Amino acid sequence: MIQRSWKIGGIALLAYVFWTTFTVPLGPGLLEFRDRNEAASTDGITKRIETYELIGLGTHWTVQPEELRLFIRKGDQITPLPVMDVIDDTHAHAALLLPDTLPFKAWDVLINHPIDGTLFLQNGLFVDGFVVDESAQLPRPQFEERGADLPHHFPFQPRIFETIRNLMLHVPMWFTMFLLMGIAFIASIRQLSQSSGDSSLFDLRAEASVQVGIVFGVLGLLTGSLWARYTWGAWWVDDPQLNGALVTVLVYAGYLILRGSVEDERLKARLAAVYNLFAFVILMILLMVLPRFTESLHPGKGGNPGFNSYDLDSSLRAVFYPAVLGWMLLGTWMYRIRLQATRLNQKLHLLIDE
Amino acid sequence: MSALSKIRFLLQHAIRVELRNRHGIAGLLVFAVAAVYTCYQATGTHAEQESWNALAWVVLLFAGFNAVSKPWADDDEGVRAFLIHAVQPQHWLIARTLYYMVLLGAVNTVTFAAFLLFLGMDHLNGWMAYHYFAGVMLTSTALASLLAMIQALASRAGGGFSLIAVLGLPLIIPVILVSTRYGSDLMRGIAFGDTAHHLLFLATLSAGFFALGYILFPYLWRD
Repeated sequence: MIQRSWKIGGIALLAYVFWTTFTVPLGPGLLEFRDRNEAASTDGITKRIETYELIGLGTHWTVQPEELRLFIRKGDQITPLPVMDVIDDTHAHAALLLPDTLPFKAWDVLINHPIDGTLFLQNGLFVDGFVVDESAQLPRPQFEERGADLPHHFPFQPRIFETIRNLMLHVPMWFTMFLLMGIAFIASIRQLSQSSGDSSLFDLRAEASVQVGIVFGVLGLLTGSLWARYTWGAWWVDDPQLNGALVTVLVYAGYLILRGSVEDERLKARLAAVYNLFAFVILMILLMVLPRFTESLHPGKGGNPGFNSYDLDSSLRAVFYPAVLGWMLLGTWMYRIRLQATRLNQKLHLLIDE
Repeated sequence: MSALSKIRFLLQHAIRVELRNRHGIAGLLVFAVAAVYTCYQATGTHAEQESWNALAWVVLLFAGFNAVSKPWADDDEGVRAFLIHAVQPQHWLIARTLYYMVLLGAVNTVTFAAFLLFLGMDHLNGWMAYHYFAGVMLTSTALASLLAMIQALASRAGGGFSLIAVLGLPLIIPVILVSTRYGSDLMRGIAFGDTAHHLLFLATLSAGFFALGYILFPYLWRD
């Protein structure tokens, strides 16, 4: 029963993960704050009130439109802008009514709304045609951040949008791969350090876990490639983290090719174990040390703290941790099936030989 | 015999065997010069900075791979059976690594010289050529300490050139990444002092490869 319960647990976790990953809605966010004056000036209006269009994603501005408040902020300077018109849930018009002298040119745009809460658009406004004087002080309005009044949702991230769901697929693939390669590493150490002759018991474990680990590595590359296409604009970019990932998969492919080219079982077990230990230690250096010395686009590496800022959102954590555990359990299960298959195959060959 | 003299003997022996068979050395040099000349035909003397750098490292890498991947007398089963009783595996590995350092250093020096001759040194002025050469030498060292182990593994497995490439190339990618970045930093006019940490990193990688090989080689060697 215990044998079976962890497998059932893993499947249940993954079922929960898939269900929530694809059903929990994305939270609201701001997409753009853009100038509408091309349209206005063609009407021959000489009086120049600059109107701007505010575009959101998944927002609810038609609910209590009179409560939609718009601000621009930089540092500790903050000032309101009047919302003139709410077009629909995701579009509103605002007037750029500002004093002639401003302390900065680039501003963050933020809104307050009873349902969406406080939303930010970093560097969303760049003003032109104002006198810039850093000592200028704007009148401080009444402003306090408010939380969203929405059911459970994933956080909105600029440029990532709905693909934040990939977090539950892409990242656990690598965690699972590392777990399996770790199993292979320990099996290889035991294979080399066993005192009683050259039984290939541990070698079979290493082989099975590398075979399954490679599957997870390739899936990690594929999900990562999709994500890179969406957020960075290319299927593959030159990045230390990506180099490390590709090298890892290539090295373990080399491990399997090495196994394939040795006939003698005892020799194969020993050579494969030596190469596995050699490769694993080098990979640890490459993946853990090298990326930290260089700049990287990838979250969590180089000078990019990325993940800390949104990974630790509680709505993501509630799915991410189960996802990691679920994929690891599934990976372990696949490894055990693979191991059993190899052993049975070996027995079969012995029987045939007899 | 002390450990040191044993290593020295093994090293001398390897060099003597190499020099006795002159076709081997000549083959390596012909390969290197022909590869450089192919690059010259493809780009002429006016290769852009980036292409110059990329071509240089690709040619150096493959000339190095070619140098270590030919069959060795020591790989013969009979010779190995004798050596197992005569020398300690670590001594053999140290001698082999030193020998590869000498061999790869020589091959890469010739390759680099041919490269400068044919593709010109417009991008390397003054001290830069020496700094670049220091990078070439340290890369040879890193290649030598990795390939000494990989070559022994591949020959034990009975695979030829392709197995060395399959096992060695993925592991050498990080070395090449560091080398190419170092080269392009130099060419972009970054001061030597600001990019010298790449050299330190190459040296550390060589030491790491060697230390791992030193620990694991006895398992590979014994029967």
